[in-house]
Amino acid sequence: MSAKGPNTGEERWPKDRLVPHSRRVRDEHLAAVLRGEEFLLLDGAMGTQLQARGLAAGELPELLCLTNPAEIREVHASYVSAGAEVVTTNTFGANAAKLGDTASVAEVFSAAVACACEAGARYVAADLGPTGQLLEPMGPLPFDDAYGLFAEQVRAADAAGADLFVIETMADLAEAKAALLAVRENSDLPAFVTMTFGEDGRTFLGTTPEAAAVTLSSLGADVVGINCGLGPAAVAPLVKRMLPWASCPVMAQANAGLPHVVDGVTTYDVGPEEYAEAVAGMLDAGVTVIGGCCGTTPQHIAREHELLAGRVPAERHVRDSFAVSSAQEICSLDYGQVGVIGERINPTGKRLMKEALRSGDHDYVMNMAIEQGRAGAQILDVNAGLPEIDERAVMCQLVSELQGVSTLPLQIDAADPAVIEAAVRSYPGKALINSTNGKAQTMADVLPIVKHYGCAVVGLTLDEDGIPATAEGRLSIARKIVRECEQLDIPRHDVVIDCLTMAASTDQTQPRAILDAIRLVKQELPGVRTVLGVSNISFGLPFRPLVNGTFLAAAFSAGLDLAIINPCLTRMMDVVDSWRVLSGEDESAQYFVANYAGRGDRAPAPVSAGEKAAALSAGASAAPAVAPGEPADAAARACELVLAGRKGPMPEVVSQVIAEHDPMYAINEVLIPALDVVGERFEKGIFFLPQLMASAEAAKAGFETIKAAVDASGQGANVPEKGSIVVCTVHGDIHDIGKNIVRMLLENYGYNVIDLGRDVPPQVVADAVVKDHVRLCGLSALMTATVPAMAETIELLRKEAPWCKVVVGGAVLNPEYAKMVGADFYAKDATETARIAVEVLG
Amino acid sequence: MVESYDIGSIDRSEVLRYMGYAGQSMTAELEGRIDGCMKRCLSVGGPRGVWRIFDVEGTGTKEDGTPCVRLAGTSLELLGTSMQKHMEGAVAVGVMAVTVGMGVERELRRLSLTDRVGQVVFDAAATTLVERTADACEASIVAAGHERGLFANFRFSPGYGDMPMATQPVLLQALDAQRQLGITLTDTLLMVPTKSVTAVVGLFETIQPSTHASCAGCPCFDFCTIRPTGHTCRG
Repeated sequence: MSAKGPNTGEERWPKDRLVPHSRRVRDEHLAAVLRGEEFLLLDGAMGTQLQARGLAAGELPELLCLTNPAEIREVHASYVSAGAEVVTTNTFGANAAKLGDTASVAEVFSAAVACACEAGARYVAADLGPTGQLLEPMGPLPFDDAYGLFAEQVRAADAAGADLFVIETMADLAEAKAALLAVRENSDLPAFVTMTFGEDGRTFLGTTPEAAAVTLSSLGADVVGINCGLGPAAVAPLVKRMLPWASCPVMAQANAGLPHVVDGVTTYDVGPEEYAEAVAGMLDAGVTVIGGCCGTTPQHIAREHELLAGRVPAERHVRDSFAVSSAQEICSLDYGQVGVIGERINPTGKRLMKEALRSGDHDYVMNMAIEQGRAGAQILDVNAGLPEIDERAVMCQLVSELQGVSTLPLQIDAADPAVIEAAVRSYPGKALINSTNGKAQTMADVLPIVKHYGCAVVGLTLDEDGIPATAEGRLSIARKIVRECEQLDIPRHDVVIDCLTMAASTDQTQPRAILDAIRLVKQELPGVRTVLGVSNISFGLPFRPLVNGTFLAAAFSAGLDLAIINPCLTRMMDVVDSWRVLSGEDESAQYFVANYAGRGDRAPAPVSAGEKAAALSAGASAAPAVAPGEPADAAARACELVLAGRKGPMPEVVSQVIAEHDPMYAINEVLIPALDVVGERFEKGIFFLPQLMASAEAAKAGFETIKAAVDASGQGANVPEKGSIVVCTVHGDIHDIGKNIVRMLLENYGYNVIDLGRDVPPQVVADAVVKDHVRLCGLSALMTATVPAMAETIELLRKEAPWCKVVVGGAVLNPEYAKMVGADFYAKDATETARIAVEVLG
Repeated sequence: MVESYDIGSIDRSEVLRYMGYAGQSMTAELEGRIDGCMKRCLSVGGPRGVWRIFDVEGTGTKEDGTPCVRLAGTSLELLGTSMQKHMEGAVAVGVMAVTVGMGVERELRRLSLTDRVGQVVFDAAATTLVERTADACEASIVAAGHERGLFANFRFSPGYGDMPMATQPVLLQALDAQRQLGITLTDTLLMVPTKSVTAVVGLFETIQPSTHASCAGCPCFDFCTIRPTGHTCRG
């Protein structure tokens, strides 16, 4: 563990932020509501009412709190008369980004809360809508910036006298999380959070109701639910999907149907009666907080008010399943079900993974994630623990990038609490933290993070005295961990005990002790789950996969819930899949029959990750390396493959070339000449873009094979380094296709490409160039609006890295523009960039 | 005014055109990859649009001399010489925003990290799909104009001509496009999902030279609701 504690480093939040504190709840009725014992009625639409009163489309309605408070008060008062207990302030878009210089956030909230109070509201809910910008990684807004916008609103609303917060109309779980954390860390008032779903049962960003409920209720939302988007009949089934997964009350504020235009006026077609009927169904299912969204009127609210009279909240059954979640999907395990955690994203003992993390080239990691998902992993372990890298930065980057390629929930695997906290803070979901253990200090460091960010946690059965040799010793540490968790209100189903695998070859009493420990933990600590990394068991033995498989089966039988394995090893997944038949989890053995019928008993060969990745991502499936009519000579075949853009057979054919000649021959006499032909064909219009790229891709596969062969033979010095080039899309621009094409080609020509990605601030570019004294930097911009950012970047480079030449390209650029922004070169396309690289770097 | 469009196919020749295709001979492998991307784009895409029609309140110039078309009931103003020309004589303006959704955006992101050939092909397919979506939305505006006895010209987007990109925030706000479609803006005024289109269509009392000249070549043909009634948008 690093010497850095969780509270050192960048101090952006109050120091005691991880200390759980109680809520400031206005009165006993609201307290009962938060316990789910009483109903609460919110108000209906504000925007629709304002439009009916003549608000022009496109104006910021929030400003009316300042310019026409009487109007706002009247709308609020009409809902209060209708029976609404909560009035939601007219502050949906009142954040610093949207208000700009029209008004300050504090002014708007102060006026808005005053309007609500003066209207006679029993409770004033400060309304927080989306920032209007999309968060990273899909959009440009950093999580911390979104948090900052919300925090400013929260402080303003709290100071103005609000009683609670309603975070609403969220489409992005990361943004909802930023808003909720902003409330938790800047106020002690209750927070209600609702997200908006479409007809497909997902938010615009793909979140399911289950994922929203699991993530937000774990994170400490006082009420979670659904608003806007759909009419009440369509919201009902979605809110019912939330109910079993939310450990807090659930709310619904549907639209009055879908908007359509009649005689130029936007109208909604679900009247109060029909609306109330659908709401009644939701109340029967267990919803306790209601109100309305777009298109609802005081009449709708009045009808809901009648609905609540004399009614008591329906009984709810919240599941106690183990559940973690990504932004899209949950992974849940009921008692008796088993799950698979993919262990491959971990550099320990893996040369290629180490190299990928060191060089910052994450393609390898991303493919590993995809491959494990395909093989059956349900959760992905992510470990970036290498002494020579900035673990915190790399972990955060991986967590962010993995969201782009996989919808599986993540297990954040780190020893340093600062790394864990940085990773789970902005993770848009409920992560599994790996790990805490029985040491007092570790629990004090890690468990508050688990609680504050609503995560699940792995508890290792070791403490200050090491790993106990007996099952009872392990149980007693498990007890200690569970007790600590319970003191922090971390529920048992979020605690996963790892009884720690020891090698059978060194102590043959261990396998039984581990299995007994699993059994004991499940028996003595009901509700708690267990996890195990199994492969250590076979250390020092021959035929390890067989031993691992046997041990895994025994562990499942002892009650193991989650196995940390390499799912790409067929034998391990065979055990998992067959166990699911024996345990009854795979009902009627449907999955097993569908996937295993016709499988023989041939011992499956472990497939190497690289091979499988290559096979899986090869465009056309297993086409033979030698097609009829192709030359039989390996060198000629490799050349043909590059020209045809077929990467699948490249490793095999290039290996043959190396065997027949040597690595340098493969580079200088085969791949480079082939690429020259490709470039020429592209110039002449014989090839078009995808062909150029497919050829580059095939050549890349060839270079990788050569590199692996050279590495293996220990003659690294024989492949000359041609120099590094930094490439990126400039700040403010999110288009990266052109940059990616350039990168592919430059890599082909043997350059070490440092790809900084898209939307990259000038300073980040300058730092990267300075760090490795890079002599060529490629900047891309697609939009006119981002050309100034390009000029700014070049200016900074001139100051901080005067030795570095700059080449620019992109749709809006031309030679004149390039000169104007101060670039050394303009490249009209990727092949031109490659020529410039040769000119500058040789 | 919020609509989902049933778009069952992507025009392959358009996709190829976006990639600079000029009749080169392709391997079966590349052809397969292109077809795969088009199929995937249709399956993850959710073509949706929102539109409204605003009456023209007047035209004039801003303080700095920029020509300006003012619309009734919205703070949206259409600025620039090219806009003034496009809307010359218009009595109403159809304002539209369409997107193929976050699913496509996520797939582009995934490909950007894992398969750069796929990214180029998929991007071309997604561009084709969003333009098709814009055709569908434009057809709705043309039909709504037709109901009022008005003739449409064609869609014109911010960023083209001298219509400023700064129009984007107000235009999207006027359509409530973030809430209805999930379209967000970067502070450099780029839309995310990137495969989104905003545009305005002029509606006139008389037939325009720029009114779709014939049904055969009309991009809105497949989505036209006027033709089945035995009429055309030309009368």
